[in-house]
Amino acid sequence: MTKIDDTVRRETVYIAVWVLILSAIMQAVFLVAGKWDLSVLIGNILAAICAVLNFLLMGITVQKAVEKEQKDAAQMMKFSQTSRIFMQFAFAAVGVLFFNPIASLLPLFFPRIAITFRPFLGKKDEKKAEE
Amino acid sequence: MVELAIGIILGCCALGAGMAMIAGIGPGIGEGTAVASACEAIGRQPECRSTVTTTMLMGCAVAETTGLYALVIAILLIFVAPGRFVNILLENISNLG
Repeated sequence: MTKIDDTVRRETVYIAVWVLILSAIMQAVFLVAGKWDLSVLIGNILAAICAVLNFLLMGITVQKAVEKEQKDAAQMMKFSQTSRIFMQFAFAAVGVLFFNPIASLLPLFFPRIAITFRPFLGKKDEKKAEE
Repeated sequence: MVELAIGIILGCCALGAGMAMIAGIGPGIGEGTAVASACEAIGRQPECRSTVTTTMLMGCAVAETTGLYALVIAILLIFVAPGRFVNILLENISNLG
């Protein structure tokens, strides 16, 4: 079993927290719009797990890849990306077929939104990363 | 004639999904190049490992979004669009009749 690097763990936790916050906002929007049902909640949970798992797997691959030669690292990353796309396809297909399609697809983009907000959160995180 | 129209709709949706996934190639190549460069950077300055890894992780996640857009479009074209398009076609036919 690979030990997860502190940097990867910290970034994954950051992404997971943001996914949780944005998921709660999405549930609230569905509730206000009067379109909320159990399929929205389950689809959201499924997609949120997929988004965080995807980021964690990417982090673990990066952690392993930086210890290798350049060529091997590039190959490893390409293979990892292809595998993760298949994983996301499987998760999203289940979500779209059996649960709410919007709630099953939208959370996949939450990590991107979290990264967009990162520079606005101040220098606290940067200082932590430097340590 | 209706069967042919439905066949064309399904075929075009499948073709569109396949073409959308061509965009999935780009992030893989981009991430590979980024990690290879990061290896070089860490090799030169091992003390910057944490900073380089953080920046690269974020960069990889941003690069991967392009592939995600393609994936979502492909999923919608495979699972959602055919049903909607066939319904629209059948409604139009029944309205004409």
